[in-house]
Amino acid sequence: MFWFLRGIRRGVVTTRYPARPEPSAAQLPTPPAFRSDRLTVELAERLAEACPAGALRRDGPDLVLDLAGCTCCGRCSEVGGEAVVVSGEFELATRDRGALVKRIPVGGGR
Amino acid sequence: MNEEQRLSTQLQERAFALFRRSLHIRTFDSGSCAVCESEIRLLSSPYYDLHRLGFFFTPAPRHADLLLVSGPAVRAAEPALRKTLEAMPEPRIVVAVGACALGTVFTEDELVHGSVDSVIPVDVYVPGCPPSPLALLHGLLVAVGRLEEKVQILRFDLREELTG
Repeated sequence: MFWFLRGIRRGVVTTRYPARPEPSAAQLPTPPAFRSDRLTVELAERLAEACPAGALRRDGPDLVLDLAGCTCCGRCSEVGGEAVVVSGEFELATRDRGALVKRIPVGGGR
Repeated sequence: MNEEQRLSTQLQERAFALFRRSLHIRTFDSGSCAVCESEIRLLSSPYYDLHRLGFFFTPAPRHADLLLVSGPAVRAAEPALRKTLEAMPEPRIVVAVGACALGTVFTEDELVHGSVDSVIPVDVYVPGCPPSPLALLHGLLVAVGRLEEKVQILRFDLREELTG
């Protein structure tokens, strides 16, 4: 009969997003970000090969990340080690498809 | 001609301003694996509760303002997709959801178009596989102009951070 008291005790569970940042967003799988200074040409080749979705590819001297294709599987961070970090960005919606294609310079010559 | 164009953009702006607080969404599955759909369904759960933002799901395209398309646009679904879009009253917004719909997972062949924007014009792209309900919410709010796009200014190469 007093089932509603349980709800009241729990408080409001609904997220406050977008008025406030959402705390659980930190646990979401998100696309990778790359540390250019640690990326070598050889590593970039391996990363492009390891990406199962084809979101990473080589284009000239750069590594190209197509966010549209990224499935956030994390295989690049397995291959890349320290050169790959989690970006933590999930707000990627855009009107411009081209904005989703990011060029990452391959900087580390060592 | 110029005056006409100005009037039409004005009218469109007013119509989109009306969408800001009340928008009806029709979802369309163009051959997706149903994970995008399961994330879309979560939007109406108590946690995300998209009704608080003035978004509603409707089963009828004639009542819908926004078409949420997932899947790689299989050719078998193309007539249905076109009919759905034609049945929707103007002005309307098309949002492509998920990696398949954005056109990277499947390449164009005799079974699929590979991307939604090769069939119908797409206004907003929401990447992710699947896009989380929060990403979908951001996409919907971008579509109605209540949030700014972020991806243009985001950087995925961290060189500056390390040297600076």
